Amino acid sequence: MPRAVKGVLIECDPSIKAIILKIDKDSGHGYIVEDLDDETLVVKEPKLAELKLRLEKILEKTQMLEKDEESDPENPG
Amino acid sequence: MPPKRKAGAAGGTAAVATTSAATKRSRPATPAVDVDSSDEYSGDEEIENTEEGRAISKAVNAFSLDLVPKGNDVIAKRDSVSYIFNKQDFSYLKMKLDHESRPLWINPESGVIVLESFSPLAGQAQDFLTTIAEPLSRPTYLHEYKLTPHSLYAAVSVGLDPNDIISVMDRLSKIPVPPKIIDFIKKCTSSYGKVKLVLKENRYFVESSDPAMLQRLLQDPVIGPLRVQGEGGSGITKEKAPQMGALVIPGTRNAAGAANVNNPKGGRPVEVAGDAAEDLFNSDAVHSFEIPADDVETVQKQCLDLGYPVLEEYDFRNDRKNANLDMDLKPQAQIRSYQEKSLSKMFGNGRAKSGIIVLPCGAGKTLVGITAACTIKKSVVVLATSSMSVVQWRQEFIKWTNINPDAIAIFTSENKEKFRGDAGIIVSTYSMVTNSRNRSHDSQKMMDFLQSREWGLLILDEVHVVPAQIFRKVVHSIATHSKLGLTATLLREDDKITDLNFLIGPKLYEANWMELAEQGHIAKVQCAEVWCPMTPEFYSEYLREQDARKKVLHYIMNPRKFQATQFLIDYHEKRGDKIIVFSDNVYALKAYALKLNKAFIYGDTPQQERLRILENFQLNDQVNTIFLSKIGDTSLDLPEATCLIQISSHYGSRRQEAQRLGRILRAKRRNDEGFNAFFYSLVSKDTAEMYYSSKRQAFLVDQGYAFKVITHLQGIEQLPSLAYATVAERKELLAEVMLQNSEAGQQEGDDFDGAKLSYNAGRKGTRYRRTTGKLSELAGGDDMAYIEYNRSRNKDLKGKGQSSAFFKKMHRENEKRRKEQNALKQ
Amino acid sequence: MSGNIRGFGYLESLPPVTFRRLYQQPATALAIFRRMLPNLAKTIVTTLLYNETPVALGDLEALVRPESYREREDAFSKLRRLHIITENNLDVSLDPVFKKNFRGDHHSFGVPCNTEDKKKITVQFLDNYATRQFEAILHYMVGTHNEVKPSEGVITLLTKGGLMERYGAGSQATITKNGFSFLLQDGNPQVWALLIQYLEMAEELGMEQTDVLHFLLMLGSLELGQAYSVNTLTETQKLMLADLRDYGIVYQRKSSSDRFYPTRLATTLTSESGGLRSASASMSSAMVKDAEEGKGFIILETNYRVYAYTNSPLQIAVLNLFVKLSTRYPNLVSGRISRRSIQEAIKMGITADQVIDYLSSHAHPQMRKSLVTLPPTVVDQIRLWQIEGERMKTTTGFLFKDFHSTQEFEEVAKYAEELGVLKWKKSARRCMFVTRHEQIADWLKRRASAQQQQPKKAAA
Repeated sequence: MPRAVKGVLIECDPSIKAIILKIDKDSGHGYIVEDLDDETLVVKEPKLAELKLRLEKILEKTQMLEKDEESDPENPG
Repeated sequence: MPPKRKAGAAGGTAAVATTSAATKRSRPATPAVDVDSSDEYSGDEEIENTEEGRAISKAVNAFSLDLVPKGNDVIAKRDSVSYIFNKQDFSYLKMKLDHESRPLWINPESGVIVLESFSPLAGQAQDFLTTIAEPLSRPTYLHEYKLTPHSLYAAVSVGLDPNDIISVMDRLSKIPVPPKIIDFIKKCTSSYGKVKLVLKENRYFVESSDPAMLQRLLQDPVIGPLRVQGEGGSGITKEKAPQMGALVIPGTRNAAGAANVNNPKGGRPVEVAGDAAEDLFNSDAVHSFEIPADDVETVQKQCLDLGYPVLEEYDFRNDRKNANLDMDLKPQAQIRSYQEKSLSKMFGNGRAKSGIIVLPCGAGKTLVGITAACTIKKSVVVLATSSMSVVQWRQEFIKWTNINPDAIAIFTSENKEKFRGDAGIIVSTYSMVTNSRNRSHDSQKMMDFLQSREWGLLILDEVHVVPAQIFRKVVHSIATHSKLGLTATLLREDDKITDLNFLIGPKLYEANWMELAEQGHIAKVQCAEVWCPMTPEFYSEYLREQDARKKVLHYIMNPRKFQATQFLIDYHEKRGDKIIVFSDNVYALKAYALKLNKAFIYGDTPQQERLRILENFQLNDQVNTIFLSKIGDTSLDLPEATCLIQISSHYGSRRQEAQRLGRILRAKRRNDEGFNAFFYSLVSKDTAEMYYSSKRQAFLVDQGYAFKVITHLQGIEQLPSLAYATVAERKELLAEVMLQNSEAGQQEGDDFDGAKLSYNAGRKGTRYRRTTGKLSELAGGDDMAYIEYNRSRNKDLKGKGQSSAFFKKMHRENEKRRKEQNALKQ
Repeated sequence: MSGNIRGFGYLESLPPVTFRRLYQQPATALAIFRRMLPNLAKTIVTTLLYNETPVALGDLEALVRPESYREREDAFSKLRRLHIITENNLDVSLDPVFKKNFRGDHHSFGVPCNTEDKKKITVQFLDNYATRQFEAILHYMVGTHNEVKPSEGVITLLTKGGLMERYGAGSQATITKNGFSFLLQDGNPQVWALLIQYLEMAEELGMEQTDVLHFLLMLGSLELGQAYSVNTLTETQKLMLADLRDYGIVYQRKSSSDRFYPTRLATTLTSESGGLRSASASMSSAMVKDAEEGKGFIILETNYRVYAYTNSPLQIAVLNLFVKLSTRYPNLVSGRISRRSIQEAIKMGITADQVIDYLSSHAHPQMRKSLVTLPPTVVDQIRLWQIEGERMKTTTGFLFKDFHSTQEFEEVAKYAEELGVLKWKKSARRCMFVTRHEQIADWLKRRASAQQQQPKKAAA
């Protein structure tokens, strides 16, 4: 008899997937239910919000977007 | 460059005072300052720690707009959206009734000026603004400029009078010039440019159009006693202000129709801004007193302390001591209008002013330098960044002027020549004249020659690349009456351009890139940023890697970026383009070039090999792509190139982006119908490269260039023999990359002067070869594969023996001269 | 534009009976003809109008060039949906009610007042009035504080229409995603969106819907600057006047006054082009003149800088939704579009396309001189910034795995697909993701027990 597991299917590009894998690994595998392929995986539903938050942070950090607050020459301060 | 150095230790104030030559010559308005003005050569040197450093910042900062008291005559009207603008809501300002026909808005707080480029008055307004303000952005419709103490200093130094600046501004502005801006202009200009130092018939005069200013100086306890008593009682001489008068800049329209050399000026009502700016240059009378040559530096320093930086001018037409150089532009040398405009700023009153002229690469900076030299007609020193461009400079002089080739000599590590006769030209590199360690006997003799003479003009090429310390040394070791700095961009990420202003002189002119492109003087370029997604393997490793330098390696070596490079090279070679691929990172440079079987040049490539590769690129239709490290950023003149691909670059350096773009601006084919050059910047998605890329583009984007984002290259999957198409290949590549030590992630060391290359020519660059060795082990002793991989296209180019006529001729000439030199010595 | 904000197209969803009733008023028939029909459909209507017998569909189709097939289909489908034509086999004729009233005497176009108004009402006055009233609504929505606060009725309309939202009674209403989409629309669709909402509310208020609609459509045929008599209006329509005053659509000096004036917002309601290019563009003091010339005021540069020739707080507030504004001169504001400013706008529910539409429909005449109005690189980048925020798609549901055989997997997958719950599957891994699991679980149990039965049978 096949098994059914509750969760959230995530479809994304490989880079996002790589970041999710890293988050999962760094947290002692607290997020992922099943790694399906390069662009698909299933994560635990209650952890989704937290995952999104961490993902966003890492994306910002890795692209250095936190520095992106433009300094407008016209409008200092 | 030493990473950390106490200011002054290597030639701060103390060194200045003891340099004997320093006292004799006309030096910049301010004594040399030991400040770090480099963009990327170092970051942590101590700055402005010298007394003079502080004096300069004091002199400049005293005029920050923030310090001008805020007018309390206006009460800002606030409405429901005012909060959005914070203090930048100027809706309370009154518009003039006919504001629609006037092109400017002036920000009363920041000094930013917005120009409507579609106004009928825009042309004149632009000329005016380039003279008095820094251009910030010049895209299609609305341009922005900013008034700064330096820009006003430059305006004053080319002869503009503050009242005239204000009145022209008022004429062009939609709103009355705000009182705070008027104050600002007056405050800045009251101290700048008021005092000039003029060398006339080898006597030094302190000159000013304001007699009160001279009285103030004479009452100064330091300066007063230094005055040389003249025949008159007061010691102050009054004479007519210098005029452009009969001076004709060669190559200009005036020179062509020489009948009307004396421009009828004055008397005409000033109607349009552009002409206004020209007309305003001369005031009526000047007053002066003489000081002894030995005390020039003391006076300059004291003036700076008093807050009146001294401006230098060279009255070369009255210099009878230094021999004239017989040199003129050839009749076919016609200089373009913007070149003329820039030179007219330099020679505005018939004397030579020191300063910097900013023209995009490919817009003929060299010819501007040459024309300046032909105007002054005295001995000249030209300093360039590499020995390759030294050769190019000499060729250009011979091409454009009738100078006797014997009167122009080269001083590099390979060539140490002097010119014959009383006057001549020496072309050298910055490092040759500043690197005092391990100087050979010949070099020392050359230096003695350079230092023993007085020079009429010092041309400083690519001034933005060179650290301020180098300039300080140059200025110390070469006695010159005037200095002309040339560059494509005055950008420095550290905003230390200030120091260049004081070391060389103010910025005299800055061209508008888009305008030159429209007029066909430089090529039109399509710019694109190609987004290369990271492959999952590389991205996971990138995320995991802690070492910042190795992180870099992961995004540069991203297989998708490699594929994009391969695809673009294939595509553009088929179109008939000649392609330069730039990589700052040498490991990647070699890896890409070897895998794609293309020739490459980097710092350790010997001079002969470099020349051979460049020559093939120019002449051999089988060699259409070369890979260059950052040594190719500047000075290389390759008009054949029509396409640039950038795979790794120096972080967020706007300047490097502009320089690299400059490599294709002089494309030979630029005036072909519908011709476009291409500039691709390849960035790995979701990595720091994305951030750097947008920073890098900032300058060009403000010049009006538009970067198209390409997220997918159409047809890349169908490219035959696409590299790293399988996961196995990509994993293998990743394994190689991971084996590199973190040094491989670094970029090439400094190479601004090219001389290092010659020093290193004998030494094989072992650092990277070692890692290639590891590669073979990794491949499990698969020798065939290894050999295939490591086969360098560079070697293929060897020994084909097809030297171009140009290089053959150059070689012959060198040989000939060497023999002559030897003969002279004996 | 967002599908949540209904415009005139909403009418198409009304039942045929309603249309019959609507077409009883010539003004309505004319309004729908003018406002809702593509040109080709209009040609078809005029062809049919004076033909007393039905016309063969083939003959009508022959009027249209074959390459305009799509336009033809579009025209016919519009006419069918609005119940303007009736078809009998292959014969086409106009709806008799529509035909009669479209041809008929046009006395339903409002009755002008014969007497002079004591105080002359000028067009300028009406324009100012309309501007003030409508602008007050938009200002209220963007949260800028204007001197004129909209009436309670307007606020109810906005909240009922989902353009604004109130958390808890008595609290300040705040703008919704739909509200932002609404703000970025052109003026005429904005007015219609409000009126359609009004139409929906009318029923709750016990007003006759057809009556309301008749009045709205009639307004479009009135003449600007002319006073009309209140006396000929139905009771419902008299009630409506008070609300329409609030919106700036009509002007009445006092509620007891026996005359009313339609404003430009009313008279352009059913005109083909939409008389006001855009409400926000029109809301500057020079509103009407500019609007008629279709004058844009925004310059977007290749360096992402935005310059807008405006001093209107409303226009500035709208720009501030997606531009980081920095400096304001008396007749110009400047700022720049950045990744951050766009992503903040997207978070508020504004789409990249709305931003681009807004910039392009308000582009300065200088920009219109160029081949492409907006710099393509910037347009691309704005879209890319939006895509960047949509890189991850999530679906809640159930992962089914550990199937015994490929056959079992494929059967379940097929069943899940039939149920419409299959989201993702991978045969190689015998894994699938479904949005609901109950039926599949049942099915699996049934299948399992059936299989258990079978071996027993076989054994027996």
